[in-house]
Amino acid sequence: MSSTNEAEFDPETGDPVSRREFLLRLGLTGALIAGTGLAARKLWQPKHFVPGFEKEVGLQLRSYAPEISKVYPSLAIAHGTTHELTIRAAFAALGGVDRFIQKGDIVMIKPNVAFDRPPALAATTHPDALRAVAKLMFEAGAAKVIVADNPINSPTGCFLKSGLTTVASDMNLDLMYPEASSFAPLQLQGEILKHWTFFNAPFKKANKVIGLAPCKDHNLCHASMTTKNWYGLLGGRRNQFHQHIHSIVSDFALMMKPTLVILDGMNVLKSNGPTGGRLSDVKPMNTIVIGTDMVAVDAYGYSHLLERDIAELTYLHKAHDRGLGNINWEDTLHKEVNA
Amino acid sequence: MAKEKPIRSGNRKEFVRTNVPAAERVAGAVILGLLVWIGLTIAIKGRKFDPNLYTVRADSLASTAAAVEGKSQTLAAEAPAPAAAETPAVTATVTATAPATMPAETTGEATGETTGETTSPAATPAAASDGGDGNGEAAPAAPAAPALPSIPMEIALPGIKPMSPTEFYNSDNLYEKIDGRAPAYQGFNVVQLRSRTFTVDAAPGSYVDVYEYRFDTPVDAFGMYAIERDPKAAPITFAPDGYSGEMGYFFRQGAVYVQVMASDQKPETLALTKTIAENRAKELPVDDHGLAGRRRLPSDGMVEGSVTYVPEDAQGQSAFKDVFQAKYKAGTVELPFFIMVAAPDDAAKAWQSFRDFCGQFGKTEPLPDVSGGKIFRAQVFGKWKVVYLRAGELGGVVDATDTDAARAFVEKYLRGEIK
Repeated sequence: MSSTNEAEFDPETGDPVSRREFLLRLGLTGALIAGTGLAARKLWQPKHFVPGFEKEVGLQLRSYAPEISKVYPSLAIAHGTTHELTIRAAFAALGGVDRFIQKGDIVMIKPNVAFDRPPALAATTHPDALRAVAKLMFEAGAAKVIVADNPINSPTGCFLKSGLTTVASDMNLDLMYPEASSFAPLQLQGEILKHWTFFNAPFKKANKVIGLAPCKDHNLCHASMTTKNWYGLLGGRRNQFHQHIHSIVSDFALMMKPTLVILDGMNVLKSNGPTGGRLSDVKPMNTIVIGTDMVAVDAYGYSHLLERDIAELTYLHKAHDRGLGNINWEDTLHKEVNA
Repeated sequence: MAKEKPIRSGNRKEFVRTNVPAAERVAGAVILGLLVWIGLTIAIKGRKFDPNLYTVRADSLASTAAAVEGKSQTLAAEAPAPAAAETPAVTATVTATAPATMPAETTGEATGETTGETTSPAATPAAASDGGDGNGEAAPAAPAAPALPSIPMEIALPGIKPMSPTEFYNSDNLYEKIDGRAPAYQGFNVVQLRSRTFTVDAAPGSYVDVYEYRFDTPVDAFGMYAIERDPKAAPITFAPDGYSGEMGYFFRQGAVYVQVMASDQKPETLALTKTIAENRAKELPVDDHGLAGRRRLPSDGMVEGSVTYVPEDAQGQSAFKDVFQAKYKAGTVELPFFIMVAAPDDAAKAWQSFRDFCGQFGKTEPLPDVSGGKIFRAQVFGKWKVVYLRAGELGGVVDATDTDAARAFVEKYLRGEIK
């Protein structure tokens, strides 16, 4: 057998390649291919979105809104001296908590815990408000109450200093801190909000959603109330939305269809918001507003709790004009009570 | 006949194709045509630059952003790329209350200060952004803040313990700490926030937050301090500008605006809050550079909470920069009084320019000099102005309804009878 018939040839020199050399090269090539495959597998991001190559389909939140009632009010305003009594009175005016919460429900409460401020400064949801609402949920038969927010800065510190950690611990609430795995891409046809990373984990479990927001001044958009409160569910560098703050806040009325929103106007941060820092910025207004229409709730809050001209609150007008709520709260079925 | 060498890689036989299929010729022509078209398109489009051509579509990157992006843990160490058009609207005029006691070492230090020593804040009238509603739309981008060393905040006082490590934020990621409040600080050229929380040994569960906002200049720090000032709060004596609230102390020391806030109103917590505030005022360097006008505003008769700082275009005059003004009680009337400290030439030009302006829209008359100060009086649109110039200081009463009261006030000030 002639060796020239079986030998491979070196591409450079034209000389024959030995069997050993051939196998060595084959092995190296195989190892290279295998290594490339392993590296590709490790680097592969199944959800990686490359513009132009794949149409992104994100999360679309369902509505948690209750059925519209022609009998019961959709907006309740209660005046009182303590959070619990006033919140109870407001729920009673709406027809009772049972109208919204049924036995076995898993309720997600979204407080505003944006800062690591003490409760007295009214920059965050007051712990007494959370305690009262959670208590009512359990009384109505809720199986679980989840409390979740995404403060940009140190969630544990914000929940701790705002006093909500203590309430969650006392009442066995499920406190959900934002983690990397808690987010999913949201898809929305908003004015500004189209695709964005969203704190989705609580919504996987909950079947009822309640926004529980303080009523406060805001440096950029005049006021932070129940509509602005949903801002805390966005992830990423959400500060870039500050450029279009009124548009993005109005988009929240499209993004969220909660079961209820609660505006805590017991102590209102009237100036230097949203952080505050001085007790002199805070004014007791002794009012709780609960409603199914966040635009109507905020309209009352802005005009009666922050005591400002509603004409200047652009985001609320945008939401109203888009049919996402009714800024004319007096035109809605409402009830005002004293606790 | 010699054996033909096999064709193999590295020693290919050369040959020329003579029979090229028509389909291949057509494909080649199409490709060549496309290349020509691309070249022409580039040449034509390239004549006029489209600024949006390479703009990054932020929304297309949304889902690629990791959930941790934006967290302080990942951004505190290095500044992220500044978001476009982040600069907020801030009002150009800010308010403060009656002046704090002026430390002896700062008295008169401002004599001879020049306009070049102060940097006006980036703050522009709110109208510059969105018609004054403060939402910041269409505002220009803030300049990148210079990096400052991250020196931990150590406070060596008995009775407190650090509850957390020192946190650092720069202008670009300040929103992580104070979110929507950040733009107001950026408007005054904030450079760094250093904050730390301390627990109070004597009051379990209580804590004290210390925020130190460092600005470009003392004037910037004063501007932000003044905009947040509680006009009814009690002034403090251990810092040049400061006051105490029911739960904290707020003051400016040098280019730093300090906030020391208690978590509650327990006596032990409040006592330590004051001690910490005094410690910070003592530890931070004294620097009143650029605040000469503020220092020279007399305190006699000043209406509480009426001090305002106008970085530029005060009284509608482009030459009036870094102006401090306040209202004063003079008998039954209230007089708006302002002071601007500048280089003597600049002050003289500004004074003359204002006089010419008043002459255009009203009538002016010179008044006799008082203690080295030249004075003119003007009546414009029914209101009186009495304006003086002395060395590098320009000031006076504006928009007064009582000309005699305005003149008397200015003359008393020049004679040193109002402190």
